[in-house]
Amino acid sequence: MKTLKLFKLDRVATALPATSSLFLLALCLSLPAAARAQTPQATPPPPAPPRSVQFPKPVEKTLANGLRVIVIERAGAPLVAAQLLIKVGGEVDPPELAGLSNMTADLLTKGTEKRTATQIAEAIEALGGSRDSAARWDATRVGVNVMSSKASPALEILADVVRRPTFKEEEIERLRQQTLDDLTVELGEPGSIARYVAARTVFGDAPYGHPLAGTPESITRITRDDFLKYHRRWYRPDNAILVLGGDVKVKNAFALAQQYFGDWKKPAEPLPPLPAPKPMTSVEPRVVVVDKPDAGQAAVLVARAGIDRSDPDYFRGLVANSVLSGYSGRLNQEIRIKRGLSYGAGSLLDTRRNIGPFIASAQTKNQSAAQVAELLLGEVSRLATAPVPDIELNPRKAVVIGNFARNLETVAGLVTQVGTLALYSISFDEINRYIANVQNVTASDVQRFASSHLDAKSTSIVIVGNAKEFLPELRKKYPQVEVIPMAQLDLNTALLRKKQAAN
Amino acid sequence: MKQRKLGAWLAILTALVVSSVYARNSIAQVSMPRIVFRDNTLPNGMRVLSAVDHSSPTVAIQVWYHVGSKDDPPGRSGFAHLFEHIMFKATKNMKSEMMDRLTEDVGGFNNAFTNPDVTVYYEVVPSNYLETLLWAEADRLSGLTVDEPNFKSERSVVEEEYRQSYLAPPYGMLEYLIEQQSFTTHPYRRPTIGSIEDLEAASLADVRKFHETFYRPDNATLIVVGDFDPKQLDAWVAKYMAAIPKPPLPLPRVNMKEPERSAERRITHFAGNVPLPAIALTYLTPAEKSPDAEPLQVAATILAQGESSRLYKSLIYDQQIAQSADATPDLREDASVFYFNVVLATGKKPEDVERALLAELKKMQDAPVSAAELDKAKNQLVTTELRQRETSNGKALALGSSAVLLGDPNRVNTDLARLQAVTAADVQRVMKKYFTAANRLVIYYLPETAKPPGTGAPGANGQKGGQGK
Repeated sequence: MKTLKLFKLDRVATALPATSSLFLLALCLSLPAAARAQTPQATPPPPAPPRSVQFPKPVEKTLANGLRVIVIERAGAPLVAAQLLIKVGGEVDPPELAGLSNMTADLLTKGTEKRTATQIAEAIEALGGSRDSAARWDATRVGVNVMSSKASPALEILADVVRRPTFKEEEIERLRQQTLDDLTVELGEPGSIARYVAARTVFGDAPYGHPLAGTPESITRITRDDFLKYHRRWYRPDNAILVLGGDVKVKNAFALAQQYFGDWKKPAEPLPPLPAPKPMTSVEPRVVVVDKPDAGQAAVLVARAGIDRSDPDYFRGLVANSVLSGYSGRLNQEIRIKRGLSYGAGSLLDTRRNIGPFIASAQTKNQSAAQVAELLLGEVSRLATAPVPDIELNPRKAVVIGNFARNLETVAGLVTQVGTLALYSISFDEINRYIANVQNVTASDVQRFASSHLDAKSTSIVIVGNAKEFLPELRKKYPQVEVIPMAQLDLNTALLRKKQAAN
Repeated sequence: MKQRKLGAWLAILTALVVSSVYARNSIAQVSMPRIVFRDNTLPNGMRVLSAVDHSSPTVAIQVWYHVGSKDDPPGRSGFAHLFEHIMFKATKNMKSEMMDRLTEDVGGFNNAFTNPDVTVYYEVVPSNYLETLLWAEADRLSGLTVDEPNFKSERSVVEEEYRQSYLAPPYGMLEYLIEQQSFTTHPYRRPTIGSIEDLEAASLADVRKFHETFYRPDNATLIVVGDFDPKQLDAWVAKYMAAIPKPPLPLPRVNMKEPERSAERRITHFAGNVPLPAIALTYLTPAEKSPDAEPLQVAATILAQGESSRLYKSLIYDQQIAQSADATPDLREDASVFYFNVVLATGKKPEDVERALLAELKKMQDAPVSAAELDKAKNQLVTTELRQRETSNGKALALGSSAVLLGDPNRVNTDLARLQAVTAADVQRVMKKYFTAANRLVIYYLPETAKPPGTGAPGANGQKGGQGK
C-alpha cells in the first residue's frame, strides 16, 4: 500500500518508459468528423532550428581518508541533493542471508550513537527531507534532498547514520517483522512475483538471483552480528562516494564534506576484494508458471542475461532496447496499441557491475497470457532477424536522448546520474558524449546486438496468474512448462519449489 | 499523501520565511522563485497562461479541460477517462498516435490524466517544436475522427488498465471502494475508472457527443512554460487556437450537492488476494477552495507523512500493529474526502487497529499540535512543492491547478502564505469539526478466508453496482 493511487488515471503508467510505433494503423470506417472548425492548416508546421544543450560539469576531489567527493553546482531551484554511495549492495549478500545489504541500509536510520530511530526521522523530516536509504545490487545509497538553506544540518544527519549506526536488537526485531510484512504484501502482486522468479531463471543460485529484499526464510536468519560485520567490512571512506548537487557553491560543498566526513577513519585492514565476476554459467531457459488463482490479471515476462555496464556494446544495447521499449516501442505497439491486450508493455536492459538481466514484460487478462508471451518473444527475436529501418531507428534514438536529458533536469536526477557514473568508474565526459554515442549507433549495430545478446532461444518465460485460463494454450507450444502453485513457490533456490512438494 | 494535488496551494514567494525547528530564533531564509506568468483570455473563451523559463531548451504544453469523471454521462461511468485515451486517436489532420510522432519521436514525451474534476493533456518537447504542438492541440480540440476498430482496441486497453490498477494489486479494490462508497449522491460516487460493464456499453456516438459537449475553447486552459518567445507564442496562439469557434450551447455543470453524513456507516468487504487485512476510514471535508483546505493538508502531513508522523510512530513503530498507514486529504472541486488506509501487521485485529487510529485522531482534537510539528509539516509540504517545480511541466501543473481548480492562477504565488498562516489552533479546529463519528465511513477489507461460515453474499453486499446509472 505504499503507493496508494490518488484517483488520477494516466494515459500511460508513469513508471513505464513511454513510447509508441511507426506503423500507423490503416484507417477505415472513419466517423464523420465532429469538427466545428477547420484548423488553419492540414499538416503540422515544421520545427524551428534546435537549441543546443549544456550539462553542468562535475568537480571532484578525494579526501585524505579516501572518500571521493563530487560536486555539481547548478543554480535554479533552491534545492540541494546529496547521496552517499557505499560501493557494494545485494551482490555481496551470502546466499543464506539474502536481504542483508538491504536490511543494513534500512537499519542505518534506526538509531546511532547520538540519536534514536524516532529522533533521526524527526530531524530529517523537520528539514523537509525524508528517510532515504536503500541497497541496490551494486551499491547502497543514502540520500537527502532538502532546501539549500538546510544542506549543512542534513549532511550532519547523513554522516551520523552512515558512520555510527548502533544496530540495536530491539530495532532489528522491529525491522525484521516489518520486512516480513512488506514481503507478504509484495508477494500478493503478480508483477513482483514474476520479477523474482525471473531472476532465478536467469541467474540460478548465483549473485543477482535472490530477491534483493530477501526471502521470509533468509530475513528470519540474519543476526545482529551479521549487520555489525557487514557494516565494519564495507562502510568505510575508501569504499564510498559522496555526491552533492544543486544550489550550492563547490567550495562550500567541499567544506561540508570535510566537516562531516573528514574524520571518518579508514580502517587499517585493506578493503576486501569484491567477488570476481563469475562467467555466466549457461543456464537452460525455462518456462515457469506460478499458479495464483486469485490473480486479477496475469504478469507475463521473458528474461535472459543482458550485458554489464562497462560493456563496449552499452550504447548499442540502449538503442536496441529503445526499439523494443517505451510507448511507441515495438512491444507496446504490438501488444497495447494494435491489440489492446495490455495497459503497457516494455523492456528493460538492466546493466550492473556484472551482467544484469534483460526483461520484457506486460500484464494482461489471464486468458491472453500465452498470446502475450508469444508476442513478447516474437518482437525480441525479430530484432535479430532484420535491420531496423532508419525511419524507425532515428525516433527511437531521440527517445533515449530525450530521457537522458530529462533525467538531468532535477537536482536529484543529476546527482543520481553522476553517482552512477562514479560507481562504475566511468568518465564524466560520457555525459557530454552521450548524445553522439547514441546517434552513432547504426541499424546493423542494433541487429548485431540483438543476435549476440538478446537471442530469444536462451530466453526464459515466466507467467504469474490464474493458470487454468492460459495453461492449455501455453502447453501446446511448451510441454516442458513447470507449474508451481503459489503456496509451493520457494524463492530461496533456483529450483523455485519447496522441497517437500517437489515430488 | 504522496502526490495529491499539492498543486493547489503550492506557492512560491521571493523570500519566504520558514522557521527552523532547531533554532527557533534564527529564521532560515528560503528564496523561492516566483512564477511570473502572463494570463490572457481569447475571444473564444480559451484561457492562455504562459511563463518563460530558459533553463533548459524545452517547453511544456498543457491543455486543461474542465471536465472529469464527475461529468461521465449516465450509464457510462469511466467515460471521461476512456475519452482521454481516444484523444490520441485520429483527428481530421492527424492519424492515430500522431501525437507520439510529434513528441516522443523528437525526444519529448506526452501523457494525460483524468481525475474527478479535470482532464489534462501535456507534452514536453524541444522548444523548437512548440508551434507544431500548438497546431496539434488545436487540431484535436477541433474534432476527432476515430474509427470503430481503434475505439474498441483502446477501450480494451482501458479495461486492462482497470485490471492492472484495481484487480492485480492486493489493495486495488480497497481504493475502488473508498472512492465508490464515500459519496452517496454526488457523481463523485462513480470511480474515475468506471466499470467494465459501462465501458463495454460506450460507443463512438458517445465519443462524438462528449467531444461536442465538453471539448470547446471556453472549457479549456492552455498553459505553456519553458523556453519560448512570448511574442512568437501570441502569434501562434492567435493563428491556431483563436480560430476555433465557441459553440453556442451552454456548458453543462454538475450542481449536485453531497448531503452531510448523519451517522457512522460500516462496510465489511471480503476479497481474494488480501495478503494482510486492511481498514479504511473516510470523512467528508469541504471543497478545495475552502479555507479549511490548508489546515487539512497540514493535518494529513502531521498524521502520516514520514517516519516521524503520528500514525507511523504510534501504529507502526510503537504498537507494531500496522504494516502501513496513510492519510490522504483528497481535495476536490465540489466536496473532498479525507481518508485513512491502514494495512495491518501480521496477526493483528482490525478492531484494535481502528481503535488505535481513532485514538490518534482524538489526540489531535484534544490538544494543539506542537510548534515543532507544525513547522516540520510546513517544511515537508514546501520542499515537496519545490521539487515539483523543478521542471517546466511541474510549474505548468501548479499553474493549471490554481487557475482551473481554484479559479485564480495567482494562487500559484500566494498559497504559500496561506500555508504559512496555518496555526496549531486551525489544525485542532478542523480535526474537531470533520473527524466526528457521524461523518465516518469505516471499511474493513478482509481476506475471503476470514468470512464467517454460512455468509454467502459478499460483505459489501448491496453496495456494489451503485454507479449512478
